[in-house]
Amino acid sequence: MGTKSHTVDDKGFDYMANTGREEKDRDTCGMLLAIIIMVFLTLSQYLGWY
Amino acid sequence: MAGGVITIYEQTRKSFLSSLYSFKVVLPGLLAMLFIAVFSNNLPGVPNPFTLENLFRWLDGVIGPLNHQPFFQILNSNFVWNPLLMGFIIGNIFGVPHCWKRGLSYIHILMPLGIIMLAPHFMIGHAFKLGFWPIALCAGFMLLTATATLLLAKLFKVDDRQASIIAGGLSTGDPHAGIILMPLIKAKGGQVINASIGVIGFGLISMLLLPGLAGFFDFPQTYIGLASVIGVGNGHQALYAAYESGYEAGRYALWFDVGRHVIMPAGFLYVFIAMFIRKLRRPDDPKVQATRGIDKFPVWLGVFICAWILACLHLFKEPAHHAIFNMVQWDFSLAAAALGLSISFKDIAAAGVRGFILTIVTGILRIALLLAVIAVCVKAGLLQA
Repeated sequence: MGTKSHTVDDKGFDYMANTGREEKDRDTCGMLLAIIIMVFLTLSQYLGWY
Repeated sequence: MAGGVITIYEQTRKSFLSSLYSFKVVLPGLLAMLFIAVFSNNLPGVPNPFTLENLFRWLDGVIGPLNHQPFFQILNSNFVWNPLLMGFIIGNIFGVPHCWKRGLSYIHILMPLGIIMLAPHFMIGHAFKLGFWPIALCAGFMLLTATATLLLAKLFKVDDRQASIIAGGLSTGDPHAGIILMPLIKAKGGQVINASIGVIGFGLISMLLLPGLAGFFDFPQTYIGLASVIGVGNGHQALYAAYESGYEAGRYALWFDVGRHVIMPAGFLYVFIAMFIRKLRRPDDPKVQATRGIDKFPVWLGVFICAWILACLHLFKEPAHHAIFNMVQWDFSLAAAALGLSISFKDIAAAGVRGFILTIVTGILRIALLLAVIAVCVKAGLLQA
């Protein structure tokens, strides 16, 4: 089994390659989701929801 | 992509949400990650008893405690390594179907997400109870170990990306720091796992070595506990070493471990910043690979630092901190599954044994210096006998 066969699909998409605009967009998605989750969980405690 | 070439992604991109692709193409990969995670760990909200974690706990019961520590905990089994191991086994035995790969690319979203959410876990104030000198020793040896690893890497001709992962894992006393450094250093998966195996492997050596060496000094049990935390680290490996010296030393290792734990982010931030500055200074040096591809300080890392500062100011109280950490467990379980699937035996072997030799040499030097410093501190009265 070749090394790349684990990560590259039949269309040449390598899921472990993370560069350029695509990387920045993924970072933005992760960062926004983290902020949303943390703000929601923290605020809901301060507001007495749990 | 570099060099001004417009990639297929950029041609079809509409907004940053384009990196999520379409639900249809990512679903198989997401399900693969979900099932690996759910059958690896006892995740919050999932009442599934058939997990690798429960199997290891059952085996721990069969083996029995070793110096009061479960065997698989000594091997660092946890919510990161369990799905990684399962993904690795599945990937290497059955391969990874093409239709999974779009979904598995969500690992790159999950990594910054999980690292940011980890920030509330490290509250500096929790270590204040230890007093100044134990905290100073934890922080000093963390920075010293990281620096020594990065400098000695040149001597042993270890790839700078792998050396950075070793520096992060060895200095913080937690191999997970290597996984956290992976997207920042731009290390290959095989290098990360090779380095982590080396750090855990050296932890096993040092937990057997340290009690014997500490026996040559006439330390109080208190500071054998401190020496185990700083010199061995890796959670239960430090506890094994301390309990080998005595019950009181073991209890004090638990007491001092918070000093190592809360400053952990400083360890991996230090390694990243040191390697990032090095790359900026030597932009065209082909030997400098660590952080290559990162043009400026990542915004999400800035968010992590802000969240860490807020955590230190006690913004995230219980149970919100606990709820956020449950999200971290989910996040890293899914990401580790994708990482495990991506790695072949060849990738790990390709990183070679130089990294392990570097880990052993740096680790032994750390233990020798640490015991000498603690002996001086006890004699000088800085650490109360």
